[in-house]
Amino acid sequence: MNSQYVSFKKVQKTYDGEQLVVKNFNLDIAEGEFVTMLGPSGSGKTTCLMMLAGFETATNGDIYIDQVAVNNLAPHKRDIGMVFQNYALFPHMTIAENLAFPLKARKMPTDMIEKKVKNILDMVELGHVATRRPGQLSGGQQQRIALARALVFEPKLVLMDEPLGALDKQLREQMQYEIKRLHQKLGITILYVTHDQTEALTMSDRIAVFNEGVVQQLASPTDLYENPENTFVAQFIGENNQLQGSVEEFNSDHCVINIGKEKVKARAVKVTNIGENSTLSIRPENVVLDPEIGKFDNIFQAKTQEVIYHGDHLRLVVELLGNRNFVVKVPSTSSHNLMIGETISLGWSSHDCHALNAVAS
Amino acid sequence: MALPKYCTPMERVGFVGFKVYCTAVLFFLVAPIIIIVPLSFNATPYFSFTEGMLTLDPSAYSLRWYQDMIDNPQWFNALKNSAYIAIAATIISTILGTIAALGLANRKMPFRNAVMALLISPMIVPVIISAAGMYFFYTRFGLSQTYLGIILAHAALGTPFVVITVTATLSGFDHSLVRAGASLGATPVYTFFNVTLPLIRPGVISGGLFAFGTSFDEVVVALFITGAEQRTVPRQMWSGIREQISPTILAVASILILMSVMLLLTLELLRRRNAKLRGLS
Amino acid sequence: MHLELTSLPSVVDMQDPLNEDQAKLKQNLQKAERKKRLRSLMLTLPLLAFIMITFVVPIAEMLYRSIDNPLIAKNLPNTVKSLSQWEQQGLPDKEAYNALAEELIRLYQSKSLPPLASRLNIEVAGMRSLMMKTGRKLSTFEQINDYKTAMIKIDKRWNNIEYWGAIKNLSSKFTISYYLAALDFRQNAQGDIVAQPEHRQVYLNLFVKTLGLSALITGLCLLLGYPLAYLLATLPDSKSNLLLILVLLPFWTSLLVRTTSWIVLLQMQGVVNDLLLYVGVISERIQLVHNTFGTVVAMVHILLPFMILPIYSVMKGISPDYFRAARSLGATPTIAFIKAYMPLTMSGVGAGVLLTFILSIGFYITPALVGGRSGQMISNFIAYHMQSSLNWGMASALGGILLLTVLIMFYLFNRIVGINNIKVGN
Repeated sequence: MNSQYVSFKKVQKTYDGEQLVVKNFNLDIAEGEFVTMLGPSGSGKTTCLMMLAGFETATNGDIYIDQVAVNNLAPHKRDIGMVFQNYALFPHMTIAENLAFPLKARKMPTDMIEKKVKNILDMVELGHVATRRPGQLSGGQQQRIALARALVFEPKLVLMDEPLGALDKQLREQMQYEIKRLHQKLGITILYVTHDQTEALTMSDRIAVFNEGVVQQLASPTDLYENPENTFVAQFIGENNQLQGSVEEFNSDHCVINIGKEKVKARAVKVTNIGENSTLSIRPENVVLDPEIGKFDNIFQAKTQEVIYHGDHLRLVVELLGNRNFVVKVPSTSSHNLMIGETISLGWSSHDCHALNAVAS
Repeated sequence: MALPKYCTPMERVGFVGFKVYCTAVLFFLVAPIIIIVPLSFNATPYFSFTEGMLTLDPSAYSLRWYQDMIDNPQWFNALKNSAYIAIAATIISTILGTIAALGLANRKMPFRNAVMALLISPMIVPVIISAAGMYFFYTRFGLSQTYLGIILAHAALGTPFVVITVTATLSGFDHSLVRAGASLGATPVYTFFNVTLPLIRPGVISGGLFAFGTSFDEVVVALFITGAEQRTVPRQMWSGIREQISPTILAVASILILMSVMLLLTLELLRRRNAKLRGLS
Repeated sequence: MHLELTSLPSVVDMQDPLNEDQAKLKQNLQKAERKKRLRSLMLTLPLLAFIMITFVVPIAEMLYRSIDNPLIAKNLPNTVKSLSQWEQQGLPDKEAYNALAEELIRLYQSKSLPPLASRLNIEVAGMRSLMMKTGRKLSTFEQINDYKTAMIKIDKRWNNIEYWGAIKNLSSKFTISYYLAALDFRQNAQGDIVAQPEHRQVYLNLFVKTLGLSALITGLCLLLGYPLAYLLATLPDSKSNLLLILVLLPFWTSLLVRTTSWIVLLQMQGVVNDLLLYVGVISERIQLVHNTFGTVVAMVHILLPFMILPIYSVMKGISPDYFRAARSLGATPTIAFIKAYMPLTMSGVGAGVLLTFILSIGFYITPALVGGRSGQMISNFIAYHMQSSLNWGMASALGGILLLTVLIMFYLFNRIVGINNIKVGN
C-alpha cells in the first residue's frame, strides 16, 4: 500500500505576506487512511485542506497526490471528493440533480448516471428524497446527501471540512459512525478537519494537532491522549491539571520537579536541562483520593474548594501545590463524605504525570 | 400595531394621528396615479370628472380616447420604436453589466471603488448633462438620429441598475457552491452556467427590467439625439403635453400604468422566488 | 494498517521561516493574488470601455467646450499679435486696426466671419452686427490707406475700447469667460473681472433657487417619508409588503405619466380645483400648476419613494429590543423613540436625503412641463442654451458647475453610505 498517497512537503501559506497562516507543514497520508487535522479555529487546518483541494494556493512548498505534484492543477481536475462545512448543496437542483452533477460534468451516459445516483441514495438510505430540493431536507439529511455527492463519482480521496459542525449532538454521533462505516466499506482515503476533539479521537487513524500554523503532534488517538508531547496538546486534548515548577534532576525517563518546597516525581517528556522551568500535566481521572500508602509515588495534601455532583462521578476542585483550580474526578461510589474546606490526601503515579515544556507567561 | 391597555390618552391620540398621517401620505403617493385611469374613459374632452361620471352614468364613459390612440399611427409607431430600442438597450446592458458585476463581486479587485463609481455614474449624473454631452459626441460620429445612437445611449443609462442589482445578488451568493462545483469535477464554465447563473438569474432579470424601464421612460436623451424616425413613446407624450394636452395622453398613460403594475408584480414574484431558492421561506 | 509514529520536522522546527526568505514568499504571494485580481478587473473591462466611449468621453468633451475658445486665435492671428502689447487702457494703436481690417476682409470674403461674430456677440451685445457690417463695408472699398479712420467711419463703435477689449479678452485658446458668465461675472474692457450689471444677473439667483427648491423638496420628502417608513418597518410582514407595493408603484410608474397626472389634477379646470371649490376652501379657481408650487408638489411626489426606501431598509434592520430596553429603563414612548430609535435610523436618513437632493438638483422634465416661468431650475437653462440660444459654451459651463455640485454630493454619499450599499427598488 502506498504510504505517501497524499504528501505535503514544506508547505507555507500567507495571505498578507507578513503573517504565516501555515508554517512549514509536512504530512504524509497513506492510502486508505483516515487522518484528522484537529485544532482551534484559525490554526491553519482548514487552509491546508483548501490547498489540497486547490481552492487556495500554497505560497511555498509542494503538495503531491499519488506522487504527482498538484500545485498547478485546477481544482476540477484533481478528482477529490469534498464535503463542505455548510454542505454547499445546490439549492436550485433536486437531490437527484445534485448527485448527478459530478457525473454529468464527466459526461457519463444517462442510464449510468441514473443507476449510480440510485445506488448512492440507497447507500445513505435516502432513496425517498430524490425529487426534493435541499431546502426541504433536515440538517441530518442534507449532511448525508452532501456526503453522498462527494462519493458518487468514486474519488479515491475525500476531504471533509467540519462536516458535522451544524448538527446537534445526537445526530453528530450517529453521523460519526456512519462516516466511519463508509470509510471502511469503500476503502477510501479521508482527510478530515474538525475542532471537536471527541470527533477526532473516535474516528481517526491518526490525528494532527494544529496550533498557530504548526503541527504540534501527529499521532494515533491513544498516543495523543496518553503521551502528549507538549503543553498545548496536553491542554487541548481532554482535561488536564497543570503545575508549574523547575527541574531538579532528570534522566532519560524520569525527573523530579520542584514546586515550592515539594518535589514531584514525573515522566520526563520534554525536559532538557536541570534548573529550567517545566509544566506538569496530570489528568483529573488519574488522581486518586485517599491513596494507599506505597501504591503511588506522589502523595500530597490538598484543601477542597468545591464539590460538584456529576452523576457517575464527583468533581472536586482543590487547592494543591499552589494551584487553586486543581480538578479531581472521584467515583460517586467513594465512601469519603467530602466537606468544603477539608484537608484531603491525593495521590498519583509518576507514570501519569508528564513533565512538559514551560508555558510562556 | 395594537396599543396596550396602559397607554395614556395623549399616547392614544398621537397613535391615531400617526396612522391618519401615514394614510394621507400613502394616498398622496398613489391617488394621483390611479385617478388617471377613470379620467381616461371620459366621454368629454375635459380633464375632470363630469357629473355623469360621478353618478356612474355609463354614457359618460367611453373608449374614444383609446380609439383615438389606436387610430393615430404616430402612437403605434412610437410604441414600436420604444419597444425595439428598449429591448436592444436592455440586452446590451444586461450582458455587459452582468459580466462586470462578476468582476466587481471580488472585493479585492484593483481600483474597485473607482471602477464602481465610473460604472454607476450614468445613474448619478443629471440626465440633461448626459444628453448634452451625447448630443455633441454622437452627432460628430453620425450616430444622432439613428437607432444605433439611441440604443447605445440608453444602454449606457441602463447599465448601473444591472451592475447594482447583480452585484447585490452576488454578495449574498454562497461561493462555496462554486467550489463545490469544482470539487465535483466541473469546469469553471460548466459551473458558471449550471450553478452560478441559475442562482443569480433573479438578480439579472430584475436588473434587466430596471434597464428596460429606464429606456422605456427616457425622454431627455431621446429629445436630443433622436430624429422623427426614432420617435419614442415618451418623446411623443412630451410633445403631446407641451403642445396641446389632449385626453389621448391619459389613455396612453393608463396603459403605461398597467405596464408598470405588471412590471412591479413580476419583480415581486422574482423576489419571492429568490428568497425561496435561498431557503429563506 | 499500522503506521509508525513519525516525528515531523514541523513539530521540531518552530522557528519563524519568515526571516529566511521573506522576499521570496512575498513574491509568490503577489503572483498568486495578482492573477486573481487581474481576472476580476478583466471582467469589468468590456463595460468600462463601453461606458467610457458612450458616456464619459462625451461628457468630458462637452466640459472641454466650456473652456475651449479657438475662434479668435485661429481667425484673427495678426490682430491678436498686435494686441498682445496693448494694456487695454485707451484705444489700441494703428497696427491693430490694420491687422483687424485685413483679417475681417479676408474672413468676410471666405464667408467664415459669422461664427466669429456670433461668438463675440455673446460677450458684448451688438458685436455680431458690428463685425458683419465692418467686414462687408471694408470689402467694398478699393484702396484704403488709413484703416483706423475708415473703420471708425463705418461705425463709431470702433472708437470704443469696449469692443477691442472683448477681442483681447478672448484672444487665448482657452477661456474662463463662460464660467464667469455662469457666476454672473464678466471681464470688462480693461480685462478686469467685475460683476455683471444687475439686469443681467441671472445665474447666481438660479443656482440659489435650484439649491433652495431642492432643499425644500428634500425636507418635505423627509417629513412625509420618515413616519411612513417607520410604519412600514414596524408592521408585520404580510401587511407591510402590501403597503410597500403602494410605495413602489409610483417608483415604477413612468415619470412622464406622473407629471402628466399632476398637470391634469392641478390645472384650472382640474380635479383639485373642483374639489377645493366644492368644499369651499376657495371661492374661485386658482393657479396651481405652471408655477413653483406645481413643481414642488410634483417633484415631492416623484422623489418621495427615493426617500422612503433607504430609510425603510435601515429601519427594517433595527431590532425592536433597543426601543423595548429604553422603555424598560423608564423612558416614555416619545423619549424612547427620540433617544434610542432615531439615532439608529440616521444612516438611512442620510442616504435618503442625499439621494433625493442629488436627484432633485438635476431635475429637468418636471420643471420643464409644470414649472411655467417661475418653476425653472438649472437643468432647464442648460437645455435652453443647448436648444434655443445655441450658446453651447454657456450650456457646458452651467453643466460643469451642476456636475461638480452633484459629484460633491455623491462623494459625501459615498463617505456616509458607501458606494456598495446603493440599492435600487426593494
